[in-house]
Amino acid sequence: MRVKTCVFIFILLFTALFSSNAHAYIGPGAGFAVAGSFLALFTALISALFILLTWPLRYLLRALRYRRVFALSKVRRVVIVGLDGMDYTLTQRFLSEGKLPNFALLRDRGAFKPLESTVPPISPVAWSSFQTGTNPGKHNIFDFLTRDRRSYAPRLSSTEIKAPTRWLRLGKYRFALGSADIRLLRKAVPFWKTLGQHGIFSSIIRVPITFPVEKFYGVQLAAMCAPDLRGTQGMFSFYTTASESEQVDEGGEIVRVKRQGNTIRADLIGPENPRLKEAQVMRCPFELSVVDATSARLRIGGRTVLLKQNEYSDWIEARFKAAFGATISGICRFLLLNVEPEIKLYVTPINIDPDKPAMPISHPPIYATYLSKRQGRFATLGLAEDSWALNQKLINDDQFLDQCHQSDDEREKMFFDSLDKVTRGLCVCVFDGTDRVQHTFWRQLDQTHPCHQGAYVPPEHSAIEEIYQRADALLGKVMARCEGNGSVLMVISDHGFNAFRRGVDLNYWLEQNGYLKLKENGRNRRNLSGVDWSQTRAFALGLTGIYLNLKNRESKGIVDPKSEAASLREEIARKLQELVDPKTNEPAVKRVYNAWKVYDGPFKNDAPDLIVGYHLGYRASWETAIGRVTDRLFHDNLKAWSGDHCIDHSLVPGIFFCNKKINDETPRLMDIGPTVLEMFGIKAPAHMDGRALSVALEKG
Amino acid sequence: MDFLLSVVSGLNSASNAVGGLVFFWIARVPGELSITIISAIIGVLLLILFKYTSNQKAIGRVRDEINAELLAIKLFKDSLRVTFVSQARLFWGSLKLLAYSLIPMLIMIVPVSLVLAQLGLWYQARAFRIGEPITVKLQLNRSFDDLTALELEPAPGFETVVGPVRVFSKKEVYWKLRALAGGEHRLVFRVGDTAYEKRVAVGASLMRLSRKRPSSQFLDALLHPLETPLPPASTVRAIELFYPSRDSKICGTNYWIIYFFVVSMVFAFVFKPILKVRI
Repeated sequence: MRVKTCVFIFILLFTALFSSNAHAYIGPGAGFAVAGSFLALFTALISALFILLTWPLRYLLRALRYRRVFALSKVRRVVIVGLDGMDYTLTQRFLSEGKLPNFALLRDRGAFKPLESTVPPISPVAWSSFQTGTNPGKHNIFDFLTRDRRSYAPRLSSTEIKAPTRWLRLGKYRFALGSADIRLLRKAVPFWKTLGQHGIFSSIIRVPITFPVEKFYGVQLAAMCAPDLRGTQGMFSFYTTASESEQVDEGGEIVRVKRQGNTIRADLIGPENPRLKEAQVMRCPFELSVVDATSARLRIGGRTVLLKQNEYSDWIEARFKAAFGATISGICRFLLLNVEPEIKLYVTPINIDPDKPAMPISHPPIYATYLSKRQGRFATLGLAEDSWALNQKLINDDQFLDQCHQSDDEREKMFFDSLDKVTRGLCVCVFDGTDRVQHTFWRQLDQTHPCHQGAYVPPEHSAIEEIYQRADALLGKVMARCEGNGSVLMVISDHGFNAFRRGVDLNYWLEQNGYLKLKENGRNRRNLSGVDWSQTRAFALGLTGIYLNLKNRESKGIVDPKSEAASLREEIARKLQELVDPKTNEPAVKRVYNAWKVYDGPFKNDAPDLIVGYHLGYRASWETAIGRVTDRLFHDNLKAWSGDHCIDHSLVPGIFFCNKKINDETPRLMDIGPTVLEMFGIKAPAHMDGRALSVALEKG
Repeated sequence: MDFLLSVVSGLNSASNAVGGLVFFWIARVPGELSITIISAIIGVLLLILFKYTSNQKAIGRVRDEINAELLAIKLFKDSLRVTFVSQARLFWGSLKLLAYSLIPMLIMIVPVSLVLAQLGLWYQARAFRIGEPITVKLQLNRSFDDLTALELEPAPGFETVVGPVRVFSKKEVYWKLRALAGGEHRLVFRVGDTAYEKRVAVGASLMRLSRKRPSSQFLDALLHPLETPLPPASTVRAIELFYPSRDSKICGTNYWIIYFFVVSMVFAFVFKPILKVRI
């Protein structure tokens, strides 16, 4: 350090002495740099001056406009840490074992309660209720997936992306006259929008179901359901020189490549080229040259990176050329899995580049760029942790955990930056690691899980315990930042967790009970394409929903909504609640909810008619989720994805910690929004179903 | 100092030889065109030099920090605290950027000075026309009292109009001559027993002009590379000719260097993303 300082001073003196002469022109390159640094300084000074001059006026206007809120506000700042899927029972257990000291401290100073989730307790539904303070009947999110009313095919429930409709065509090229229509299907108003209307600034980081982002007074980074660059929910790539090996059925693709000496050449597959009339995907070529038995050199886009076996690369930019002067930029990580005898290379889904986002992943749009400049590139895909690759056994447990930890680390940086920036207002950040790790490592807690196939090997370390302890360490840092500045801190989760041992093929059950009819050769076809709609009265899609094939709602509906629907709902619900797994003699379903009774609001007609609340250990089968009717009712779950929460909501409550005491025994996720509004002196809008918790009613 | 001078002389010899080869075509094309082409090429070459002599990774990192602070000011504009903190970080970032550009700046000074000196030979002035008055200045190292004799030898292509005129306080001697014939000539000054030569160019065409036979000072020798510097112990310090200004808003006296600066910057800017240089 001392040497560096001396060198620096010497250079400075040398330049000062010799640069006095006007002839010491230093050339465009360095001239640029000098000019650039002064330009940055000059720009900053001008903007500072402008802000300083206008600040009193803006402050006065805000104070006048929002004087009532400022006067009634009981807090300066509310900080909400979302730990997706953190389970109440497991947290209690780790607390009693003394493994979560910071959570214990928070519990002792304030409160620790179970947090009631939604029906169904699925992240998109639950987080939508959190942000809007409403039941699903008002925010229109009932599952990850819903059905297309015309084709019955599954589609994402939260987002709709439509290409531009008007084009100018020139030869083989076309140019959009207008932009793509990217629509958020979640309805109702997030409570931070209401806060903004009253002059309270919010920083909302990675709260699920916020893509595309909405405008409000604050900053926001989108999360769950934000697509990758190809528009999917995450499509990994696996390059191998092996001729016969891994197979992939979901979430990714295997590319077989030829080895030429020590080198393989291949392309990253990008989105479809929007400039070409003929559909054609864009490609980004890369080359991988073996260096030795454990490393290889990657060349991509003029950059060279040394890949070491079993180590993820940093985020690497992949540029896809659409036409002359038009490129789309994405980012991905490479993981060299094997060099000899066969090369195996895993590439994460190509995320939207936050530095130059191709889609609206943040509000304002420059917020993603700001974060990228501040901390380097980061995952932008909604489900950033690639559990598909783990399920297919293309990456191992440690490599998947690495992804989870890296994602959480990235998020921690952005969250702490927001805590530094926002000293008055709302800061929310949701961390996904707890959810992903419990989904994929519940098998470590469950010796009888079918995925062990009778050969359970106790793990060297518990990934779930580790992720809870990481959450505890994070909490410690957050608590330190909330100390003595009037911040109210809440830690919440959207649901808990439990085992997923057996999958139930609901469509098979519906078929067996005469509610669903398959076409000839219709079995095992995806997207419900094998169903004979003219004879089908009910069908299942997604993780918990059963839809009636209602007339005037579904395109080929046969059930009369007035005369038949109500009794059919009752009948199916009653029968389904009697379902017993012959292998275990245990009931598979705890309760079936009639959407028309549990939901309230203008969108309940779009909901599945029945919501299945499974018992512990059960869930909709993988096949049911994507509309494939198999030939048996129960399926052993052999995947690494061994834990789940898509069961009865009473069995998987979330957690609620607060640094203030609360009297409410059963807080609900949808109560958080009204509580925060009340703390800031704002009356919750009438459409909200949640109620302010007692903590909001106390004086600050 | 002798060592520095010999280094500069060596560099000058090399740059004169290379400059003669590389820039010979300047005499054959319009000045506006040649200066534009040269500025563009040098702008790009220096950009490449900057790329490989600077710490691109560190510069990129600081650039990102600076951009982040600029965006922070915009994103959190209602927070005075954020604004002030970002301002301070911006200031620090600018200093760091400046520090990172010092090394390449120092490395570039050498080639850029040599190139500019070579271009100065072409663009800083024009040759004398036949019949045009020529002012010659001889700068002495000693006072006139120590001199036994000082004269300008008669040259075939010139006639002396006025001189020698001595300025005792400045130790300078002036002559006013008139050119009678075109071409490259030599003026010979005799001081005591020693003869000192100075080149003179007369004619209408473009040519390399040495305005000064430089002294033994480092910078003087660097900026006037075409003639060998006079030794430090010599009676005569320097001999200077006052060539007329080259008349052009782009490639003329006092303008060419500005034009060079602007055009080289523009081309460097244009090629910056193509060559992936962070500055």
